[in-house]
Amino acid sequence: MTLQSTSLRRLPSNALRMALLGSAMGIAALAAPAISAQEIRVWSGYPELAPFYEHVAEGMKADYPDLTVRVEAIALREHEKRLALGLTSGEAAEVIELGTSTATRYLENELFNAAPEEVSAFVQDPANFNDFFRDSASFGGTVYGLPLFRGQSALYYNTDMFEAAGLTEPPTDMAQYTEYAEALTQRDANGAPTVSGWSLRLSGGGQGIAEKFWINMFQYGENLVEQTADGKWRADFANEQGRAALKQYLENVHTLKTVTVEMPADAEAFEREQTAMFIRESWVIGDIAAKAPELNYATATLPRGSIVAPVSLWISGEGEQAEAAWAFAMAANEPENLLWLLDNVGWLPNRSGLDYSAILEAKPALAAFVDYPDTYEFFSLPNIGPVEEILTRAAARLTEAFANPALAADDAAIDGVLVAMQDEINGLLQREGLLAE
Amino acid sequence: MLRRKRWLFAILAILPTLAIFAWLRMYPIFETLRLSLHKWDILSRNKPFIGLANFQELMTDRLFHEALLNTSIIAFGVLIITIPTAMVLAALIHYRTRSRLSGFYETAIFLPHVVSLVPAAMAWKWIFDARLGPLNAVLTFFGIEPQAWLFDPTLSVISVIVLCSWQALGYAVLIYLVGFKSLPVSLYEAAKLDGASGPQSFWFLSIPMLKPITLYVSVVTLVSGFNVYAQAFVLASDAQGAPGRQVRVLVLDMLENSFRNYRVGYAASEAVVLLLIVLVLTLIQFSLLRERGRA
Repeated sequence: MTLQSTSLRRLPSNALRMALLGSAMGIAALAAPAISAQEIRVWSGYPELAPFYEHVAEGMKADYPDLTVRVEAIALREHEKRLALGLTSGEAAEVIELGTSTATRYLENELFNAAPEEVSAFVQDPANFNDFFRDSASFGGTVYGLPLFRGQSALYYNTDMFEAAGLTEPPTDMAQYTEYAEALTQRDANGAPTVSGWSLRLSGGGQGIAEKFWINMFQYGENLVEQTADGKWRADFANEQGRAALKQYLENVHTLKTVTVEMPADAEAFEREQTAMFIRESWVIGDIAAKAPELNYATATLPRGSIVAPVSLWISGEGEQAEAAWAFAMAANEPENLLWLLDNVGWLPNRSGLDYSAILEAKPALAAFVDYPDTYEFFSLPNIGPVEEILTRAAARLTEAFANPALAADDAAIDGVLVAMQDEINGLLQREGLLAE
Repeated sequence: MLRRKRWLFAILAILPTLAIFAWLRMYPIFETLRLSLHKWDILSRNKPFIGLANFQELMTDRLFHEALLNTSIIAFGVLIITIPTAMVLAALIHYRTRSRLSGFYETAIFLPHVVSLVPAAMAWKWIFDARLGPLNAVLTFFGIEPQAWLFDPTLSVISVIVLCSWQALGYAVLIYLVGFKSLPVSLYEAAKLDGASGPQSFWFLSIPMLKPITLYVSVVTLVSGFNVYAQAFVLASDAQGAPGRQVRVLVLDMLENSFRNYRVGYAASEAVVLLLIVLVLTLIQFSLLRERGRA
């Protein structure tokens, strides 16, 4: 009786152990491929970069046969939103592509991993990156990211339209931009423009309008915000240069009507020959090659200098995932891949010492981005918290101003707009404790 | 004892639903109320309590004022267009129920309500296009100057109202149709015997008797009007260039403050203001329509 009861008691226990063992083996068998097959995700804010990241992943196959790289590239503004939610909830991708000005907030909150020693040494080596790009991937003297590419602007112009208008050289100062725009504008019988002479960013949401305005104002020698000696910031553009920049927009839109707010604009319009010239980053070259290969165009440096918006790869996550992510970021920075990036996508690599000669020979339009005069100047968006709000609010004021024809011939009213914009920006800086004395 | 058991059963039966409702509806509202009194950038662990500072800033924020004004114009614009149009359309469909085409009419009007919002907005974006849009083509045919629908500050708001009304109409008509079907036929017959015409019956019988339906439809329309976002976003969005004038609405402003400007506490204070507006307007609608109903 005792025996029986003992064996009866053991039976379920043994059965349970067997079942557990079986389950464990089953789970192990199922999990085995998952352990050996590693997956990392890449989040990008530039859809045109997806083939580049896929190319990098393909190149890693030999060293990482079990690594799967999932590239998720979406529009920049949506990318920024998913980062805000993803990084704080721990659901973000392992490799994150982000411009330095926005990344600063995440670095302040320790949401990106510090670079391992070998990556840090690679970034700090002057043979690989100059000080500007090294600093763009660092925070408080520590390297957190791997500099990848940069946004830099130049003038694109349609050479057929230039020839038809009797223009042989690109404009070299801002006054010429307006003269050229007037000469290049094509009109219908009623005088309404059908092809804009110079496509300006006049509408839409977000900070693009303010960024483009800043680029133009920079040619006149002024910035939207500038850093002072004490490391703080201020807006001080309500002056002659600021007025000249805003007035140029208003003259072109309302007085000369070389462009209207509802006309097709930007790269798409340039590719369809709906505008004669516009200012944009180097990615347009790749876009033109893909969408309008027959287009006859050239590029030129801007009169004074350009914006430089450095973009780096940042890593989140832990353990083997993070290790694989750093390996991916390093692979993306290999010369072969960076040249592929420039050749096929058009974004400019940040790494020094690359030989662009073969690509420049095939794509001379890239020269305006890499061969610039020694006196050429650069500016970048400040790495401060409220930078997005500054640009968004400035953009809202600019949109309003662009739509107001009464401003075009009224310098005092233009000054009023600039003072209001400047005061608003300084108010934001003061709120964040960043306003210079 | 039996009564108590029944009561207990009722509580237990309703408890899961209440719990889900509390978790998904009430908790976010209280959390938003709490956040509105804090400064938080979504990334930081620190959330300092700042009292009513966010609300004070709202008082002087021109973008918030613009968003509030645009949203109010859109919400009331949609309401003014939708309610009378839906009532008339529902009446016409109701009195033509024997027509072979009645099903087609109902489907045609209800379809915009079930069509996915983004493709519908994209289609309207093309309709409003200043250069290639059919709307300007029709205007030009009648000798009217083509308009920059999506770029002019006033016309861009009107465009959003038209799009929202087009979408809201189907649901409103459907509800009104239900209302019409429940009206007593004898009253209309009596009115007919007294010599009332169709329009007179509609004006003096249908409209007063449909007040509860009008109350419901107007509340739903107004609340959804104040929540407008995707329509304004899609009409002004594009990959590049000249997408259209961004009509700033409250929800858009909140999203921008939350995820672009990293000011979640401030965006929460905007949400609280929106909540209060919708609550007050709903109470006003209830009191107006109910009192008149009693009279």
